Parts: sequence; C-alpha cells; structure tokens
Amino acid sequence: MSQVFHEIEKKIIISLKDNPKQTPEILEKSTKLLPDQIRRGIEWLKLKDLAIVNESKTSIISLGKNGIESFQKGLPERRLLNLLKDGPRNLSDLQKELGPVFGPAMGLARKNNWVEASSEQISLKNSPSELPGEKTLKQIGEKKLQQDKIDKSDLSGLLKRPDFIIEDIVKTKEISLTDSAKSIDLSDSFGAIDVEAKVPEVFVARTHPLKDTIDEIREIFVTLGFSEINGNMTQSSFWNFDALFTPQDHPARELQDTFYLDGISAKKIATPEQIRKVSESHKKNWRYHWDINEARKMVLRTHTTCVTIKYLAENKPDESRVFSLGRVFRNEKVSYKHLVEFNQIEGVVVGKDANLRNLMGIQREFYKRIGITKIKFWPTFFPYTEPSLQTMVYNERLGKWVELFGMGIFRPEVTKPLGITKPVLAWGGGIERIAMLKYGIDDVREFYNNNLGWLRSARKCQ
Amino acid sequence: MPVVELSYTRLQKLIGKVTKKQISDSLPFLGLDIESEDKDLIRIEYSPNRPDYSTDFGIALGLQGLLRIKTGAIKLNIKKSNKYSISVKSDVSKIRPFVTGIIAKNGRIDDKTIKQFMTMQEDLHFGIGRKRKKSSIGIHDLDVISFPLVYRTTNRNHKFIPLNSKKELSISEILKNTDVGKNYGSILGNSPQVPLILDAKQNTISFPPIINAAVTTVTTKTKNLFVEVTGINKEDAEDMLSVVATILQSAGFTLESVQISGAKNSSPKLEQKKMSVNPSLINQILGLNLNTSKIISSLKKSRLDALTKGKNIICTIPAYRFDIFGPMDLVEEVALGYGIQNLEPTLSPSQTVGQKHPNSVNLQLISSIMTGLSYMESLNSSLTSKQILYDNTKRDSSKIISVLDSKSIEHTILRDSLLPGLIDSLAKNIHESYPQKLFEIGTIFNKTSSVTEETHLCAVSSHKDANFSEIKSILQSVIQSIFGKTCETKTTTHPTFKKGHVANIVVDGKVIGIIGEISKSIKDNFKLREPIVSFEVKLPG
Repeated sequence: MSQVFHEIEKKIIISLKDNPKQTPEILEKSTKLLPDQIRRGIEWLKLKDLAIVNESKTSIISLGKNGIESFQKGLPERRLLNLLKDGPRNLSDLQKELGPVFGPAMGLARKNNWVEASSEQISLKNSPSELPGEKTLKQIGEKKLQQDKIDKSDLSGLLKRPDFIIEDIVKTKEISLTDSAKSIDLSDSFGAIDVEAKVPEVFVARTHPLKDTIDEIREIFVTLGFSEINGNMTQSSFWNFDALFTPQDHPARELQDTFYLDGISAKKIATPEQIRKVSESHKKNWRYHWDINEARKMVLRTHTTCVTIKYLAENKPDESRVFSLGRVFRNEKVSYKHLVEFNQIEGVVVGKDANLRNLMGIQREFYKRIGITKIKFWPTFFPYTEPSLQTMVYNERLGKWVELFGMGIFRPEVTKPLGITKPVLAWGGGIERIAMLKYGIDDVREFYNNNLGWLRSARKCQ
Repeated sequence: MPVVELSYTRLQKLIGKVTKKQISDSLPFLGLDIESEDKDLIRIEYSPNRPDYSTDFGIALGLQGLLRIKTGAIKLNIKKSNKYSISVKSDVSKIRPFVTGIIAKNGRIDDKTIKQFMTMQEDLHFGIGRKRKKSSIGIHDLDVISFPLVYRTTNRNHKFIPLNSKKELSISEILKNTDVGKNYGSILGNSPQVPLILDAKQNTISFPPIINAAVTTVTTKTKNLFVEVTGINKEDAEDMLSVVATILQSAGFTLESVQISGAKNSSPKLEQKKMSVNPSLINQILGLNLNTSKIISSLKKSRLDALTKGKNIICTIPAYRFDIFGPMDLVEEVALGYGIQNLEPTLSPSQTVGQKHPNSVNLQLISSIMTGLSYMESLNSSLTSKQILYDNTKRDSSKIISVLDSKSIEHTILRDSLLPGLIDSLAKNIHESYPQKLFEIGTIFNKTSSVTEETHLCAVSSHKDANFSEIKSILQSVIQSIFGKTCETKTTTHPTFKKGHVANIVVDGKVIGIIGEISKSIKDNFKLREPIVSFEVKLPG
C-alpha cells in the first residue's frame, strides 16, 4: 500500500516500529517533536486506522513529609534502636531525644520484641539489619515511582502511617501501531499525493429531465413511423372546441376549466366552408344556437388535438401517421397532482386499416419502449372519439393501476364536416405522468421548480 | 367527471345473482372508474354522457347486461291515462317554453333511494341540463296535487311556501335570499314574468327552474310521484324525462302518461328509435371478424335490441340512450358488449417513414450547445404572474396578455420574455452553490392584433465574478453555432439591466435580443446578491 504521510506521521511511525509501545512523553524524546505535533500526528494516524491509543490509569507513589524525614534520618524505630546500641537508656531521656515519634517507635519496637522495658529502663533485645519499610523508603527516596514497581508487602506498613506515602492516580496513554501500519513501507511514498482526499465539487450541465423524457418519446414516435407536426399554444375556440364537436355550452368550455385570453379574438378562424359545416353539425346534433363570436375567442389550447385536427382538415390525407407534442393548459388549482400547464403527446393514424385493435397495438408497443409492460385497456368517454378507451398501467412503486393515455377513433361528427373521410385513430396523454414514473417523483411541480439540488443530482442515464 | 356513491348490497339486490367481486371486476368495463371503496360503499366516476349511470338503478341495468343476467333494451311501460294533464299558456314561450312530465305510481322509497334520486337530479341539472339553463326537473308527491295543472307565468310578487322553508316567500325574495335563487336566478334574466306550475286549486307546485313548493316534498312515506321537466327546447326536456322515467321504472314504479298541450307543447312519446348499422363497419373499426349473431348478442349485452335486415343490423335504442348519435356509437356498444378485455392488440407494420419537425431538431441541438457551455437547462411556465414578469423586473407592461379567471395567482399572465422566469429560478436557488448558470428555450407571446408566438433562448450566469465580458463570450459562441454568423452588441438601455452594462444583440443589422448585467435594484427585488449577467435572443423558426 502506498499512502501519503506528513513528516510528523512518518517520524511517529518510524519510532513506533523500533519501540512498539510508547507514551506521548517517550515519543517526544524519541522523535524530537513538540508535544503538540505528537498530539496531532497521533490523531491523524488514529483517523487513518494506523495507530491505536490505549489509555490506562497508574498509581504513582512518592514520599510524604514524614516519609522524607524518615528517608533522611531513618525510620523512628531505627533511630530508637540506634540510641539503644550502647546500652539501656532511661525512658524519659529517649522521649526527649526522639520527640513526638517516640510513641509510635516504642510501640513498634515492643510489639516486634526488638526492645525490653523494665521500670524506667529500656534496653535493646534484638536489632534486625533491615526493618520493614526501610527497603521501600530507600527505593522511593525523592523519586516518583509506579506502584507496581514496589514490593507490595513492604509498602503496606508505610501506607498505614500518616504522611509517609503519597499516592497519585495518573492517566497514561500508550501508543502502538495497528497491523496495517506495521506493513507500511515509508520508502515508496516519495512524491505521491493523497489520492483519497476530498476535492471541490463540479456539477454537470444537463438538459432538463422532463425534456429528456419528451425527447425520448419523440424518438419513439419517429421510430414507429410518425412525423411530427407543430402548432400554436394560443388557438381559437373553433379549433380547440368547435371543430372537435364540443358544444358551445359544454361545461369544459367554461372559464373555470379553460384559459381565455382577455380581450383577444381571432379574426380569421377557418374557411367559410369549414365554419358552415362545423356549425351545422353542432346545430343538428346538439340543438342550440351556434355563435361564431364564441368560436373566435382565443384560448390557451386545452389539448394538442387542435393541432392534429387542423392538420387533418388542411391536408385530408388518405394515409398518415403524425404526432404533435407540446404544452397544454387547464385552469386548475395547482397541486402535487395538477399543473395549469403541462406537456401532451398526441398521435394519429389515418388509413383504411386504422382500427381499434391496431390502436391498442400501437399503445402496447409505445409503452413497451418506455419500459412499461403491464397494461390494460378500459372503456371511457371523450367528446370527440367513439369508441374511446383509456390505458391503465401498473405502477410497481405505488402498487396500483394508474390511468395513462386516452385513445379513440374520431367521431364522424368531427371528421365529416372537415372533409376527412378515412377513420382517424387518435391517442394521447400527459408526458409529466410518464416522467414521474421514470424519475420516481410524486409531486409534478418538481419539474418546473428548477431546483438545482435536484437537477445537479438527478440521474441522467437510465 | 361526476361521481355516484353506491352500496354493494343494494346493487346485488337490484342486479340479481351476482358476487361483490363480479361487480367490482365488471364496473370498469362499463366505462365506470372505481374512485374509492370502503367496505360496502363504493364511489364510482361515470361519464357525463351517461346520466343513467347517476343512480345505482341505472348502473344495475348496465351490469345485468354485461353479466348476461338480463340483456336487451329496456322498454318503458307507460300506461295511457287521461287523469293527468298540463295545459301550457303562451306567455311562457318567451321565458321557458316547454314542459313535459310523467306519473310514477306504487313505488317504495327509502332514505337510500331518495339519496340516489337526488344525485340523479343534480347530475341531470348540471350535465345535460347545463346548470338548469337548458332543462330542469322537479319531482313531487303526486297525492297532494290536484290535476289539471297549468304552466304559465306570474309576476315576481307571487308568493308560495318553497321547499325547505316554513313561510311564504315572494318570487323576488326567493331569488334574492335563497341559495338556489342566487345560483340559478340569472337564467330568468330581468324578465318581470317568471314561469310557474299551478294545480287545479291554484296551489303553486313548482317555480322552474329554481325550486319546488314545500307542499309536494317527497319523503319515505311518498308512494306516487309526479315528475315535470321544463326547458328551452322540447327534445332536451324529453331526453331528461326519459332518463328519469327509466330510472323510476327500474326502481319499481309503474308509469302513467301526462297529457301536455298548448303553446307548441305536446305529450312526450319517449319512443325507442331505430338505427341501422353495417356489420362491415363494425368489423372494420374494431379490427374483428364477428358474425351478425355475435354482433347482435354484444349489442344486447349493452342493453340495446338488434335484428338483421338484409346486410344490415337494425338497432332499437331506448329513448334514454340519446348519447347514441349514429352508427359509430353502435360500434362502441358492440365493443363494450363484446368486452374490451377480449380485444387483442395487434401491431400492423408502419407504411410510413417518421421524422421529427425541423424546429424540434434545431432546438434539441441548441440545448446541447448550451449544456456544452456548462449551462443547466431550466423549465418555467408560460403562464406567470405580473409580479415576476413586470413588477420585479420593471419591464414595460403595456402589451400585457392576461387570462380570465385563473384559479392560481401565480399563473395569470402569458410571458413575453424568458428572462424574468430565469431570474426567479436563481432566486429559488440562493442556498445552492455558485456559480449558477441556467438557460431556457421556450415560447414567448406577443400581443399584436391577436397573439403571435416566438421561440426564445435565454441564459443567465450568476457568481461573484460574473461580468459582461463573460456573457458576451458565451453569446458570441452561441450565435456562431446557431446562425453561423458573428454578432455585434450595441449600447442601449433597459430597465432590468445596469446602466452602461447593457446592449442590443445585432445579427445582420437586425436586433434579435438583449445582453447585459442585471441591475442591483432588480436583484434586490428578487432578494439576490451575487452579480447576474444574461442574454435573451429570438431563435429562427
């Protein structure tokens, strides 16, 4: 393994390789680094899992006031025995010479049978060359020693005596290398850089996820043999509604569902023949007074079908596969489910072979290409198609069937007045719904929030 | 889509031998979406063209057909009677010219049935009645009414006790003080005379299309009903009556006729109509090869009658199926009876070669140019607010294009520029790391004698070192890539941009856009701090 190390780290590793367990204090000496450098170096190595720090508590022993006095002058009992070396002495004389330590010294000497007392006379009986505690006193002296280095039995007597022994509990750190650190070869890290370090973030600039879905769908339609047609988002009511057999008093045409442009009307909406035939179809089938001024009112298209029908009315093809794709508008309250403005795809097939099962087949193929295989068809109602179906697709994430594209065959009441003689299959639906499935999004508003956090992180490749 | 609430146990009683699962499996294939389910209760969304599905009685008729429990057309059995008549005075012809009606006897009405009738009435009023304007319905307790009735007008001082009231109110008071009066009074306009149905004892029965009299209120004790429909044309009124008659008959009532006369009115016939359809049309449209007997049995499952006559099939369509306009509607009835689930999708090979619109190809390329210059693509609504489009950016609002009655205050104005939306996008992202570079390609709208649409490209760059040179470098390379031309930037002024840091973009001597640094006061309006530079150009096509 080849890693990059700081000089401090290198020195600590080298030292620990020689002497596997060291306290920071010892490391200071062995590496000639400052305490702060040692502290930082150990922290870095710990983070990289290269060093282990064992913390332990140690008892440190030193002599107290009485201990030091005894170290210098001898233990009180030794001093007593020394005074008796030259023969028995009077008790009061001994008391005077030894002072306050006479009592304890005398007690110990008698208890251990070192002296004999008769009336006022004290005489030596037996004088051991080393008294209990003398070895320890000498060992400690003026130093501080770890308790475990001292003879426990010899120390115990001193511990009981006041002010002889001071015991301090000290925390100590012991540094050692981990196994992986032991195998580090510092010689091959010359000139290397820290390839594991963090770097500044850069973000992709990308096309919008919803645009990607739109482009993908456009591509699928083209490969299925469809050509793209375009049209305006602002349309006369004639093409958005009247031409599609939606009566002028239909609730869908009310202000509360459709966006009307304030004070803007179309001057020329269609050919006189188209206007005449469409209005006749309305009068005959819906039984009401058809008003051309109503048809002139400009709206934001509520579907792309207005683009399709205009194209069919102008071109009257016998065979055709076209699609239109773009934004449509509904006067709705914005919520996680609904936008006032969303994208719609709509495809049509014109031809003598156009039939409902083919329409269903194209749907199945389309869904297969966007990765949806679990689909079924239910009947439904649209004002301008008959028969009409809707696709239900299974949303694995939600665990339920959701409605996707609507489809049908244009009603003769729509096609006939516009001179379209062949059956027209049409289907379409919202693209945001597909994009929501694709990106696992539950709130459709996300697509228009331009939230850079999302755009910078959303997966581009599927 | 309208919604009706049903109970499984009630449906089971109405349909006959059927399981709960059979019902819930079959509903979608009648075109009915199950919106929600809670134990025995089930909420169904139905299509506005099928008002007969506004009650469980009507849905039961449909399910009986689909499940082959009872098939074929529902025939109305109306007993001819001379006891009940309405004479119409000519003064109604200017305000609400037509009335029609029917008697329904010996039915049992419980709370749930009343609830179903009320949903039906609401649906008929809203849908085919066009909020009562086209036609409206009144259901009354027959036994408190003395026939013959008169349909005529009265002035606005006329008084009676209306439904849900304890005291007499004048027509003016009803229109001014009650909810229904306020909601539907406008149908009567400013006419001093309003329509009224009076009985032989001069009691007010109904004030169409606003409210019934309290005296005829239907309760669970009511056995016999009088139903009247008024409207502005006879066919629509009779269509509505046919739905009610069908539902009442299937609810167990026996029907008797009401004689109507006077002022171009006549008694309703509620007759079945005949329609011929060619089997080859059916097979062509569905992509099937059904023989006539299969077609006929499918039609019967859709509760129509049919028989062959020569090469054609003659269908008998009950009056309440006025959603059937022509043969294509019969094709759908065959499809439903046959079962949509039995239609196997086929894919016929395409005889055409597909291609993208050249504009789409170009716009995709421009997007890739912009991302190549490290700009992130954004999307904003075409409908925005005056605040963002004009007020915050100090742009000229003299050619503002508003939409009427938007439900959302953030979406009331059509954009005539992309820049305000992108500045707003920057404002929404102040917590994200800089530099932030965004672009949008989108449609903008110009007010002319009508409305014209153009496609624009707009780019914004915001970071602490953003400056004019940076964005001009980007612009030059974009213009070169899109147009294959160089561009010039000519000094100008613009309220959104900083003075002395803004220019018109000129290509071939023509101004196609604007470039510059956004002024401090505009940034303040959006609570933005970092410098912003931007350009917006009109794209070809």
